[in-house]
Amino acid sequence: MATRRTFLKLTAAAASLATPSIASAQASGRVVVAGGGFGGATAARTLKALEPKLDVTLVEPNATFTACPFSNNVLADLREISQQQFGYDGVKKAGVTLAQTSATAVDASAKTVTLADGNKLSYDRLVMSPGIDINWGALPGYDEAAAEKMPHAWKAGAQTVLLRQQLQAMDDGGLVVISSPANPFRCPPGPYERASLIAYWLKIWKPKSKLLILDSKDTFSKQRLFQNGWAELYQGMIEWVPLSQGGKVTSVDPSTLTFVTDFARHKAAVGNVIPPQKAGTIAQQAGVADRTGWCPVEPVAFESTLRPGIHVIGDSAIMGGMPKSAFAANAQAKVCAAAIVELLAGRKPVDPILINTCYSLVAADYGISVAGVYRPDKGVLTDIPGAGGTSPLEVVGGFRGQEALYASSWFKTITTEVFG
Amino acid sequence: MKHRLLLPALASVLSLASVVAGGAVRAADTAPPGASSCTGCHAAQRIPDSVIPRIAGRKASDIVQFMREYRSGAWPSTVMGRIAKGFDDQQIDAIAAWFAAQPE
Repeated sequence: MATRRTFLKLTAAAASLATPSIASAQASGRVVVAGGGFGGATAARTLKALEPKLDVTLVEPNATFTACPFSNNVLADLREISQQQFGYDGVKKAGVTLAQTSATAVDASAKTVTLADGNKLSYDRLVMSPGIDINWGALPGYDEAAAEKMPHAWKAGAQTVLLRQQLQAMDDGGLVVISSPANPFRCPPGPYERASLIAYWLKIWKPKSKLLILDSKDTFSKQRLFQNGWAELYQGMIEWVPLSQGGKVTSVDPSTLTFVTDFARHKAAVGNVIPPQKAGTIAQQAGVADRTGWCPVEPVAFESTLRPGIHVIGDSAIMGGMPKSAFAANAQAKVCAAAIVELLAGRKPVDPILINTCYSLVAADYGISVAGVYRPDKGVLTDIPGAGGTSPLEVVGGFRGQEALYASSWFKTITTEVFG
Repeated sequence: MKHRLLLPALASVLSLASVVAGGAVRAADTAPPGASSCTGCHAAQRIPDSVIPRIAGRKASDIVQFMREYRSGAWPSTVMGRIAKGFDDQQIDAIAAWFAAQPE
């Protein structure tokens, strides 16, 4: 017969049995996040939101982040660069400690990050979201000095402003040349959105000008949508030279703004070199980048397959089917943060599902998109069959206008989520 | 009086047991797979001038209905049809329940 006393004993026994799991159910510990872009800032905030007890430090040298999405609008005079810039007050208010300096070394076995200001941070888990660095040396003739003559503008900021200044100073009738690299690189539709928006601006202000895209690929993201848009809006203004027709740029000469291919030399009035890229330098130093220059990770918590305890997200990571985009970095960061909370609490994270949506503008009010839904499959993030894809080629009514509106709404939303 | 004191303790032991018995011990407030990606466009907070509808705090049945109709094409969309096709009924139900429970 169960008396009150025996019942209490049972309850106490159950409680004491349960105690270890209650204790381990709460994540505690120290997480360092290196890199304050869409990936890193999202990861830091999400970690703090999911588990306020965590000690989260974001290491980022810049006081202001300059966003790449919509920076092609700056080239077309549709936005100011200041509208691309965001501070870290919101991140700090969310309880994240900001170390405004750069990470200079990572010791994966000692679990420490050395900072440029001399401090050393220890961590239980490290999230690296360093973005891209230009792979200087991969394109003969193209170095930091050359980028002042032939800007890449593939990291938004001073380079974006420089390219805009060059476009504005160009005589009507000039030739703008854009070179586009082989895969993989940041923002696969970006070079073609850039060509579109520069053509949009040229058509208004310098209509005798032409734009040439020299490509190291034979196909590109949203290709038919872009090409249909170009035929519709910029007839005869944009010429695209694919790899198979000699589009691969083998060297550049910044003194004459010349792009050299195996077949021709193209002298530009304005030259935009979108160069080969690699994971941010700190990733190489930390030992999380492989021989490709990018960082292999497992597909559930995005932990490095080379250095345990270090998670890599965003453009620097090899994410299977997911492209290198701000949307993807933000989605990966939220999944990574949730997984780290689980791991620190001694639990196994469940398999995630991630979404990516990338909008591009063909004109100010003409938007197109590509989307994908991803899950881990055989060790890599893989497209879920039947889902995703691009905007339809044939549309009625205000479809393209609606996607342009969704594009700007997305930018407002994501920048508020990350930096607001 | 005594019974009232006992009941919460019993309830908490039982609920703990059921969570353990369920397989993985997980925090109750963990977002289901896929949900965290949604807020990239569908903000948790109000965004001035955004034309993208908020879904936090909407009725779960409404979210489920929209997702199913996006998926089948019965309700027209720009991008949501392509995204909804990545989710089965159970996953949609879980995501809908999650957003319905978020503050509006």
